Amino acid sequence: MRYLLFILVAAACTSPEKKQPALVEKVSLGVSEVEDYPKYLSDWNLYKEPMNELIPINDRMFPYEINAALFSDYAFKARFIMLPENTGITYDSSEVLDFPIGTLLIKNFYYPEDFKNSKSKRRILETRLLIREENKWEAIVYAWNDEQTEAKRVILGKKVPVEWTDRYGELQRIDYSIPSQPQCKSCHDLGGKLVPIGPSARQLNRDNQLTDWVEKGWLEVPENVHYPQLANFENKDAALEDRARAWLEVNCAHCHRREGPAKNSGLYLLASQTDPYRLGVNKPPIAAGKGSGGLKYSIVPGKPDQSILIHRIESLEPGEMMPELGRKMTHTEGVELIREWISEME
Amino acid sequence: MDSFHSSLKPSKFDKIQPSMKYLLIFALALTVACGQKEETPLSWKSIEADLQTWLIQAQDGDTIAIPEGNFMFENPLILDGLSDVIIKGAGMGKTILSFEMQESGAEGIRAANCKNLVFQDFTVQDAAGDNIKITDTNGIRFTNVKSQWTGEPSQENGAYAFYPVLCKNVVVENCIAIGSSDAGIYVGQSDSVIIRNNEVYHNVAGIESENSRWVEIYANNAHHNTGGILIFDLPGLTQSGHTTRVYDNDVISNNHENFAPEGNVVAIVPPGTGIMMMATRNIEVFNNRIHHNRTIGTALISYVLVEIFGAEEGSQLDSANAKVNEEYDPYPNYVYFHDNEFKNKHWFPTFENDFGLLFLRYFTFNLPDFAMDGIWPEDEEFVMCLQNNGEFNFANIDAANDLEGRSTNWRDYDCEYGVIDPIYP
Repeated sequence: MRYLLFILVAAACTSPEKKQPALVEKVSLGVSEVEDYPKYLSDWNLYKEPMNELIPINDRMFPYEINAALFSDYAFKARFIMLPENTGITYDSSEVLDFPIGTLLIKNFYYPEDFKNSKSKRRILETRLLIREENKWEAIVYAWNDEQTEAKRVILGKKVPVEWTDRYGELQRIDYSIPSQPQCKSCHDLGGKLVPIGPSARQLNRDNQLTDWVEKGWLEVPENVHYPQLANFENKDAALEDRARAWLEVNCAHCHRREGPAKNSGLYLLASQTDPYRLGVNKPPIAAGKGSGGLKYSIVPGKPDQSILIHRIESLEPGEMMPELGRKMTHTEGVELIREWISEME
Repeated sequence: MDSFHSSLKPSKFDKIQPSMKYLLIFALALTVACGQKEETPLSWKSIEADLQTWLIQAQDGDTIAIPEGNFMFENPLILDGLSDVIIKGAGMGKTILSFEMQESGAEGIRAANCKNLVFQDFTVQDAAGDNIKITDTNGIRFTNVKSQWTGEPSQENGAYAFYPVLCKNVVVENCIAIGSSDAGIYVGQSDSVIIRNNEVYHNVAGIESENSRWVEIYANNAHHNTGGILIFDLPGLTQSGHTTRVYDNDVISNNHENFAPEGNVVAIVPPGTGIMMMATRNIEVFNNRIHHNRTIGTALISYVLVEIFGAEEGSQLDSANAKVNEEYDPYPNYVYFHDNEFKNKHWFPTFENDFGLLFLRYFTFNLPDFAMDGIWPEDEEFVMCLQNNGEFNFANIDAANDLEGRSTNWRDYDCEYGVIDPIYP
């Protein structure tokens, strides 16, 4: 009898732990597959063979680089634009450029085996396409096979175990998370519409990229255009303020802006934001729940450890972490940067 | 836990042999300490892949019928851009969607940019963040949905059980909300809202309307929360709230300890609060039974008081620092409070909160049923009418002047004020 009680107590103690491995049997509701876009990446005919070298199929498809990239668990990203024949991009000074119907924005996520060795083998995990349709953008995702010969469309996301040696020589291992299709819009949402986030003039303004496109006839700009520029937060020669604000913009402001899905928080983190209260300085949280970490204000100048912002970008707990999606790791260098910025704030 | 305790009647307990009894006590203590989740069924099935695929492909006018069963999810269910879609289970407690094993995302169910959604007849529980969040949606109805965090109320629970925000035309009816570390039914920055016939308990706030306009809260049973019903207006948001009717509610024994994480505005609510109005405008509160809320039956406060208390609790900031945006008005106004019934069997307020201690010091054995902070700019007109609320203790605590000018005479506010028209007559 005592033995039985012991078991009961032990069961009571172990079973309610969060994320316990449970036997969950999969049940079908008889729903058919989504079939609106090609099932395989090769159907798009984007790359020369072998596909995993990511060499564009023709000169309407070209690579692009941005100044400040969203943190995605240290994944590298190879980005391309494919423009339809006889079309060009229209300039926009503040938002994403205006791409012609039929444009593809292509982003490949990969990890080199060894970050310190530029010649090391790389493993491509996923390719995301943003497709410019007549009145909207669509987002679809392909997951690469282990052989790196093909990528298959995923609707519901996928976990992929991956490992690499980081720039400090440490072995890293995570279950990389390929997003589900509905999760795409959790970030790619501006005023309720799915939109690209990256290719704005201030992101693309680097190494004569924009002038080069103008020369090639891919981009049309107004006369005497002055390109704005977002800082590269990895560039330690840039001003701390500019680096920190660039990091916040790319990691947070797709939602935390007046037109974004996190507008209800009243916390706006575009680099162009000038009101300190909107940036979170001495601002109490709204609807943060345990995301507040028991702290009172988003940013307390000079006190990173009392700032909710730091708590949330460090956290790995669903329901607390920011961004809500797209990372399993903490961006240590980014958090350091924001810490430094808050420390020096008066 | 109520059924758990009541099944252990002393008479039954005495019949157990002594050695067994201690073991049982030990076992029970451990069980409680471990936070056993009694209502959690033992076996789960997964319909995550099919259900999410179905939601992706849903067409306007579709009904998504989820069968009876206990279903476990690892990721949020996401709805976007749907119109006239019904998500329907086989009944509260029959179709259970659990997010206890959630690995990603901040909500259990998340809907955005939709029109005329209906959620009905199921239970949803244990999400990492909020159980159901609906944003930027015109037309949302919850009916017969139970949304809860199982086990003991905890700071680790998600913030909101029902969370429509930035929505229009919201109805929450015949629902149950349990265990939210913020508010059970929360409506934020929304217009045209009806919250009726719901039962909310073991939440920090039972029902909270924040920065919302044209809100009706009636015939609800808010009991055993920290605070029963809150009507708040906070600075720095997309809109300010006004025009709210709160009536025919049972607001009973909201004496639960406050388990909201610090930093959230509800963390300031004293255990034992019935109805709290903060910085709200044009509000009519009537025909409510406000019983046995130990600290304060009804409180009317300004955001200034929140800032003062916030600053006193160890922060470096003073209220002048935590500035609010210019268009925000931190003072409540145009309040008509009538025909409510107060009872309080408790002799002491909560000791867990500064407000409680304040009341203990100044109003021992004569706790106010209705209290206001009395913080008000001198050059503005303040309109409040209290009528037909029976015998009750009133206090204007004059918080701005360290309670020096406090008054207990409610007849200063004995007047009749225009009623607010119903939203949907």
